[in-house]
Amino acid sequence: MVANRLNGGSTRRVTREDLELASVELRGLTKRYGSAVVVDSVSLKIDHGQMVCLLGPSGCGKTTTLRLLAGFIEPSAGEIIVGDRTVSSPTRTLPPEQRNMSMIFQSYALWPHMTVADNIVYGLKLRKLGRDVIAAKLAAILATTKLAPLVDRYPGELSGGQQQRVSLARALIIEPETLLLDEPLSNLDANLREEMRFEVRRLHDEYRYTTVYVTHDQTEAMTTADLIGVMNQGKIEQLGTPDEIYARPSSEFVARFIGSSNILRGRASDAEHIEISGQRLRTSGALLVPGQEVAVSIRPHEISIATSPVSDPSLNVVPATVVRQVYLGNSRDYMVATGDGSPIRIVAPAEQNIAPGSSVWLALPAASCQALAR
Amino acid sequence: MSEQFARPRPTRRHVVQGVLASSVAAAATRVLAAAPPTEVITPALIEAARKEAAVHWYTAMDLPAAEALGKAFEAKFPGIAVRVERSGSERVFSRIAQELSSRINNVDVVTTADASHAIVWKRDGLLAAYVPEDVARFYKPEHKDADGTFAIHRAHLSVIAYNKDLVKAEDAPKSYADLLEPKWLAKLVKGNPNYSGTILTATFQIARDLGWAYYEKLAKQKVLQVQSSVDPPKKIALGERPVMADGGDYNVWQQQQKGAPLEIVYASEGTPFVTNPNAVFKSAPHPNAARLLQNWMLSAEGQQFSVDITGIYSLHSEVKAKPGRRPLADIKLMKDDAQAVEAQSDQIKARYTQIFRV
Amino acid sequence: MKSAPAGPVHKQRFLIDFSRPVLIAVAVVLCILILLPMSWLIVYSLTDKAGTFTLRNFVQLFTEATFLEPLQTTLLIATSVGFLCFVIAAPLGWLVARTDMPLRGTVRTLIMASFVTPPFLGAIAWELLAAPNSGLINQAYRSLTGAGPDEALFNIYTLTGLIFVITCYTFPFVFVLVANALDRIPGELEDASAMLGGKTWTTARRITIPLALPTLLAGILVAFLQALNLFGSPAILAIPAGFHTLTTKIWSLFQYPPKPELAAAASVPLLLLTVALLRAQAMVLGRRGYAIVGGKYGSPRLVRLGWLRWPALLVSFLILMMPVFLPYGALLNTAFSKVASRLVTFDTLTLANIHFTFFELSATPPALRNTMLLGVMSASLGTLLALFVSYITVRKAVTGHRILGFLATAPVAIPGIVLGVGLFLSYTRPPLVLYGTLWILLIAYVTIELPSAFQQLQSAFQSVHPELEEASRILGASRLRSLRDITAPLLRSGVISTWCFIFVAVVRELSAAIILFTSETKVVSVLIFDLKESGDLGAIAVLGLAMMLITTLVIVLANRVPGLGGVTRLRNT
Repeated sequence: MVANRLNGGSTRRVTREDLELASVELRGLTKRYGSAVVVDSVSLKIDHGQMVCLLGPSGCGKTTTLRLLAGFIEPSAGEIIVGDRTVSSPTRTLPPEQRNMSMIFQSYALWPHMTVADNIVYGLKLRKLGRDVIAAKLAAILATTKLAPLVDRYPGELSGGQQQRVSLARALIIEPETLLLDEPLSNLDANLREEMRFEVRRLHDEYRYTTVYVTHDQTEAMTTADLIGVMNQGKIEQLGTPDEIYARPSSEFVARFIGSSNILRGRASDAEHIEISGQRLRTSGALLVPGQEVAVSIRPHEISIATSPVSDPSLNVVPATVVRQVYLGNSRDYMVATGDGSPIRIVAPAEQNIAPGSSVWLALPAASCQALAR
Repeated sequence: MSEQFARPRPTRRHVVQGVLASSVAAAATRVLAAAPPTEVITPALIEAARKEAAVHWYTAMDLPAAEALGKAFEAKFPGIAVRVERSGSERVFSRIAQELSSRINNVDVVTTADASHAIVWKRDGLLAAYVPEDVARFYKPEHKDADGTFAIHRAHLSVIAYNKDLVKAEDAPKSYADLLEPKWLAKLVKGNPNYSGTILTATFQIARDLGWAYYEKLAKQKVLQVQSSVDPPKKIALGERPVMADGGDYNVWQQQQKGAPLEIVYASEGTPFVTNPNAVFKSAPHPNAARLLQNWMLSAEGQQFSVDITGIYSLHSEVKAKPGRRPLADIKLMKDDAQAVEAQSDQIKARYTQIFRV
Repeated sequence: MKSAPAGPVHKQRFLIDFSRPVLIAVAVVLCILILLPMSWLIVYSLTDKAGTFTLRNFVQLFTEATFLEPLQTTLLIATSVGFLCFVIAAPLGWLVARTDMPLRGTVRTLIMASFVTPPFLGAIAWELLAAPNSGLINQAYRSLTGAGPDEALFNIYTLTGLIFVITCYTFPFVFVLVANALDRIPGELEDASAMLGGKTWTTARRITIPLALPTLLAGILVAFLQALNLFGSPAILAIPAGFHTLTTKIWSLFQYPPKPELAAAASVPLLLLTVALLRAQAMVLGRRGYAIVGGKYGSPRLVRLGWLRWPALLVSFLILMMPVFLPYGALLNTAFSKVASRLVTFDTLTLANIHFTFFELSATPPALRNTMLLGVMSASLGTLLALFVSYITVRKAVTGHRILGFLATAPVAIPGIVLGVGLFLSYTRPPLVLYGTLWILLIAYVTIELPSAFQQLQSAFQSVHPELEEASRILGASRLRSLRDITAPLLRSGVISTWCFIFVAVVRELSAAIILFTSETKVVSVLIFDLKESGDLGAIAVLGLAMMLITTLVIVLANRVPGLGGVTRLRNT
């Protein structure tokens, strides 16, 4: 799809091919503060026009990575390459003002002493564009972000959602090579957040900037990103599409962080089977080394619960006792205990009502039993 | 670097040694060379002074009196603003030294109450030789410099005085010895020789005539210590202390003119006699205005004005003394000795500081 | 198929970023300002007249009575002042910040008024009030009680008198610290104590006071330091009383013939003591250097005083008599009176003093001009410098920003008169002979006021979220541009209040000016001092009141001019 750019004066349409070279690559990016390693050898390649989400809990290093990308801090080791230029390295870091990037901050950072219009066009004024050009671009972005009626207001007079849109408009109007978003929705209430999630994706689809999006909210990541990098303690634990991350987590951390998950621990008997509390289960995912201690992840709603023994050789069957049950309206949340007392959580349809204390049989499809590499 | 810049300022010691090292100077100020020509106030001088538009006068004279003198000069010679820089003579000397050694040439004319300063300045070659006609004709040789570098603007005395409302005439002190009596404990005020040329001169003369032991006893009287010699008269007029042990006699007279109930006492041992040299500096930034001021101040007109408003003793033989002021001839005076003061100045100040602890 | 453009669509801007060189220049200026005079001071103290290294200056200092006594006296004064300030300021601070005493806002404002008064002017005013015989208070005492002509209620020409006057004008420092700290104690903490059954006094004793204790201690140290380094009041009261303090001694060493080596040596103990006490203060308050108690908490709970409100108010106003009502009353009296020791009546009212001061005293116009010029220039330059330095330290803009922050606060450790001596020694020698110009005074003033300006602007900066600047930088503005477009407008009220603060402080500064001035560069504070030495009280009163009027006008103007924002207002409850 060709993006119809609002470029300064020329009527030539810029094609995607023109911009193919502008991608972002992080190579072994590391940042240390004293002895603490905040970003640990992160490597990532983002193709042009992709939206990559850095997802993780607080303190995992995602914001630091973003700020390294923006140029507010210098790396201790590694490089950042945009297009064919190295913009960050331990010896030389291009300052933020020269990177042609744009950023939306968690606090929006709207300048309280300037109107909405002044806030938005500031970047264009810095680029010394003509007044007419600026007016035209302003009109266009206002239309896109539906901010036209608020043009002369001050940020202090706007609601959270409106501020966020101003922040977006300000970032987009300069048509940056790269767009950085630092938890842009976390200050909004739940309803607005949902609406804005789609808005962000829609704008991305329209303008196709390379985007790096930092968040701790997995739903945001899952709904907006092309690619998700799950970060933990400075490292990217897993990089993949939302699908891959969810269905095939490669580590215990990822499994726990995305959606809810049961983690079962046991010992591998061969490449595809493990022994857990006396039961033998078939796994998928990583290949196992016999004798290895392994963790297996399976989602609560992937487990079926039955009151009578199940004998299907293709399924892993585990007997258990119901400990407690919660009725949630459209489903029931069971907590069961297996033979050796390990708890497993199951989400089952509401129709089935199994009382606590009953003996049940759990069916764990092999395809859902993800053996975790770490 | 020359010696002058190796230290921030020359001490008197340095200056003296430096001068003696040269083959020219004798110690005396009376060098028998040809005196410079006498000068009158010519229109050319006035015009040149007017172009300079200002004159900086450093003086130890009482401030309102000095300002009044300045205003009178300005009235007589419009267009020349007089900037009065007033401080105690010792302070004035110190400031001039600091300024000149930092190449700040700001002082035009100086009137100091410490006659020894003129000796030092002349020896350092800082003074311009300029002899107004009146000085040549109407001033006695002992009241001017033979080489024309300075002349005595006025003379005054450092006197004992008291507030009549607080002290009855029969109880008043009549001599310096009287001041040591127990009844004057915590009742005296006096000036500081570290600040005031008048007080320094007086201290020298009294110490010479009565001995330092006198001051040691005086110090035990819990004297109120002020700085300037113009202050004790103001203090007794305020009623803060009833008796002043030293201070300017003309300042007492000024207070009396304002209605203060003060009375001067001419001590039986003698009264210290203070001469005030007037001089023009070679480095004066306004040389013509400086000479004009010097000339006018020492002329009959200028002297009469000073006498009229301050009651000082003029040494111009044509000028009439202020009626009501006791003539100098009728007062027992102590002998002034500027050269001795110059030689002992540091020791006097140090010893005084030690005795009076200030 | 195509050659894509390597860069962004818009043409690359080739701007030279001036940020880094400017920041480095600021650092260099700071170093010169502070390190140069101090180095010369150390050099002079350790050399003799010939320039050879010697410890003789220090030996002389510590063996001669003429030096040891002032040192002892100074320490005694400082300790007494510290203690007295604590006794006065702590309860007053508590009354104003934590109770429902009526008119506490007014009390607070009046205490700030005494802040603005120069200590030397206060000393002169107290002379008018409490000279044993001519002082107005003592006269009133004698006529009211029929006491003998030798008796005085209060003799200002004593060590006690000096301590009293210094305390009058130092306790506001402690008061401000205590009141601000008490303002910030979260109300919830006291609620908790009340809920557990603690009565008013118990809560105050067990909760409030311990929380405010670090600030109290810091305040006492500040008072001690102020008293240690004060020049004006001792110069006016100590010498008539017959003793020297260390500052007046240092000054006297500059009188002719000057002994700069001894003056430098005498300055060193002051400097070391100040540094040591500041370190102690830092340790007491922890690493932050000031005590903030709490963040987003409820406002403080006011203690109900009940019937004690009115006695409390009375006591507060009695305290305010000392630095504010009585001295200004005396000055007004003197300004319009022929004789300072008489109370003026309608018959004896005279405008002669005013006429003399403004129309006859030839030193007045240049002094006023110099003071205004220096006030404006110092305030502007100082604010600018403090702005740059606080930006660098708060945003950590260059490596070594911590050192810059240290340098900017270092002058606090240098007593005014010591700085004067150091600057004198530095700038009376080639190549840079600034002595005799207004520049040397400008340097002195900026150096002295930089620490407080820096701290004020630093906290103003901290209230501006760094993301606001980052947002402008990522859009393409350099650091300097961001500072100009974004931060500076947001800091406006902080900048204005800092400017006013420096202006006021410069107008009242005496200890450095007394060393550095020459007849051409005399300022009003020095002129008043000169007039004091010759006893011209009428002119002093007029000049002093004029000075206060100018200062008040400037502050009021800065507060009122629309668009300039308000000076940080005192917290009124």
